[in-house]
Amino acid sequence: MTAAFTTFTHLMRERAAALGDTDAQVFLRDQGEPEHLTYTTLDRRARALAVRLCELGAQGRPVLLLYPPGTEFLVAFVGCLYAGAIAVPAPMPGDRGERLQRVSGILKDTASSLVLTDSEHAADTSLWLAVSGRGETVCLATDLEDTAGTSDDAHADAWRAPRTGPDDLAFLQYTSGSTSSPRGVMVTHRNLLANQEALQRLLGTSAADRFSNWLPHYHDMGLIAHVLHPLWLGTHCVQLSPVSFIKRPVRWLRSIGEYGLTVGGGPNFCYDLCTRRVTDAHLGELDLSSWRLALCGAEPVRAQTLDAFARRFAPAGLRAASLYPGYGLAEATLVVSGGEPGAPARRLTVDAAGLEHDELRAPAADVPTRTLIGSGRVHDFDLRVVDPLAHVELPPGRVGEIWLRGDSVAQGYWHRPLESDDTFHAQLADEPGDFLRTGDLGAVDDGELYITGRLKEVIILNGRNIYPQDVEWAIREIGPALAAGHGAAFTVDADREQLVVIHEARAPQADTARLRTLARSIQTLVGKDFDVPAGNVVLVRPGTVRRTTSGKIQRNLMRTLFLRGEISPLHDVLDPAVRALITPAAVPGAEPAHDMVRSSQ
Amino acid sequence: MTLSPPRHIEAPFHHWLTTHLAVYLDRLPETIDATVPLAEYGADSVCALSLCGDIEDDFGIVVEPSLLWDHPTVAQLAAHLTARGADPARGQR
Repeated sequence: MTAAFTTFTHLMRERAAALGDTDAQVFLRDQGEPEHLTYTTLDRRARALAVRLCELGAQGRPVLLLYPPGTEFLVAFVGCLYAGAIAVPAPMPGDRGERLQRVSGILKDTASSLVLTDSEHAADTSLWLAVSGRGETVCLATDLEDTAGTSDDAHADAWRAPRTGPDDLAFLQYTSGSTSSPRGVMVTHRNLLANQEALQRLLGTSAADRFSNWLPHYHDMGLIAHVLHPLWLGTHCVQLSPVSFIKRPVRWLRSIGEYGLTVGGGPNFCYDLCTRRVTDAHLGELDLSSWRLALCGAEPVRAQTLDAFARRFAPAGLRAASLYPGYGLAEATLVVSGGEPGAPARRLTVDAAGLEHDELRAPAADVPTRTLIGSGRVHDFDLRVVDPLAHVELPPGRVGEIWLRGDSVAQGYWHRPLESDDTFHAQLADEPGDFLRTGDLGAVDDGELYITGRLKEVIILNGRNIYPQDVEWAIREIGPALAAGHGAAFTVDADREQLVVIHEARAPQADTARLRTLARSIQTLVGKDFDVPAGNVVLVRPGTVRRTTSGKIQRNLMRTLFLRGEISPLHDVLDPAVRALITPAAVPGAEPAHDMVRSSQ
Repeated sequence: MTLSPPRHIEAPFHHWLTTHLAVYLDRLPETIDATVPLAEYGADSVCALSLCGDIEDDFGIVVEPSLLWDHPTVAQLAAHLTARGADPARGQR
């Protein structure tokens, strides 16, 4: 039914013709009646906007979309498709802290001369552009009619389909990777359509499904799986804002019962949040029996989280097998693998020591083990597990870097030819052809993909792999002064690779005896349980360890800050060779780490 | 900056705040010191928004998303709730 489409633009036109006044999207406001956007209205308003965009010369050029949660974003996104422009979804500049940095980086990276927003945010956005030194950038409020007085309908009638082909760019997906500079993944229509097919094949979705979404529209999992997949299928999504979800997680779960929603989810943390915050009184009013696929992705999935969520919400009709972990990344448009719908996610308990040697081994009795959650099967990609140094394929059961090839693999990073070449055009030593290097480590066992960590953050000491998150979690278990803190473990090269552990401690700086004891207990634990010398321990104030908006520890960034001398310790114990590496540089505009996490007061 | 408020007046808010914050921060309520900035216990934006949602629901007042950063300790939050005229009895339902 959908294979006939060569562009998402073409698909949207067909959907509008076939589905008319049925909903394309429903937005649940915090107060008042829900906002409905029908296929007909979406199509008409997108055509009108496309005409205005073409007048501004937007064809083939990046257009920044800065929208609050709501249906207007979708009008702007489809308007860009209809104009043959390249949509660039991004977070709002008004948001605090880290995210402001991100959108400024995106603006700079795209060199976009056109920004779309709504009338409520147009003044602030223009001010932000001026402050960013890009006052010449045009800022258009798409919910207002043309200032020249031409009506939307007149514009819509004047629309002509762009000459978009399958290999033209549909949008740029900016990644929130652990490096500070954002990179725009170039997604073509062919990529987008291929990934929609991959999603459908994995999830078994159809036009009978109803989607549920609280993720931001600039998030890859939000955009591809929750906003665009329903359109591709010819159904709709019921959305609420991320802030609304975090303030009241029960609203998300309530909407699932109220609208009979079947598919939707988010990263690990959203399931934790629901388990902790939804009260017994609210549990009784929930009906989660329609929820066939509770998608979990975008960060490592923890068995503990899934089990706790399944137990907590079973009385509301949730089936444990609905929890659906998958694997994906923006560089592959989104989805790469997923399980069998309706079947519980697979788990594999392996020998922990084997994993440190890049092998999935069945554990012998009485040895430490780790349980991995399966990310499902791979259908639409040629997936290889590769030795990241030798670039040769590894046999099943061995852990290596995941390399991919297929129609969903994007074209590279916008205006970054060198990085694009390294990441998107990797070559196996003994086989011709380009592969995408995902930077993720994993293994395939019995056809199931298991992701074990990130390549660049894996610590290799004495020839063994240590996963930083394992060290960080273990340190939290030492005691209450460390339990609430986040940590970052990484290595630095001081003649030999040395482990550095930065951990947030709840103890007054004046209490040096206490801090010394804590540092010593960390050294003992890491030395004992991981068999790694932990000479370098830096205890810091809570809030110092940097995380992305989705909660991932930014270990590479912490390493950089540490080496620049920008981490102020409560207490530290450093090897002299490591201390010698720290070179405080006067970096213009660099701010102390602890100021970034908290907002300005 | 802020003088310590008389504790007996804020006691109900103290109890409500520490029990709720304990859930967001995944720690025991008695380990939260009313005069220590909550960021030191690992409060982040998810915790801050969670607090806003529960205050609005339980006390019927609307608060800014920046609440926790503007009033960073339990004592300051309690003083703010008092100043806003929130009714401590509502939080005990």
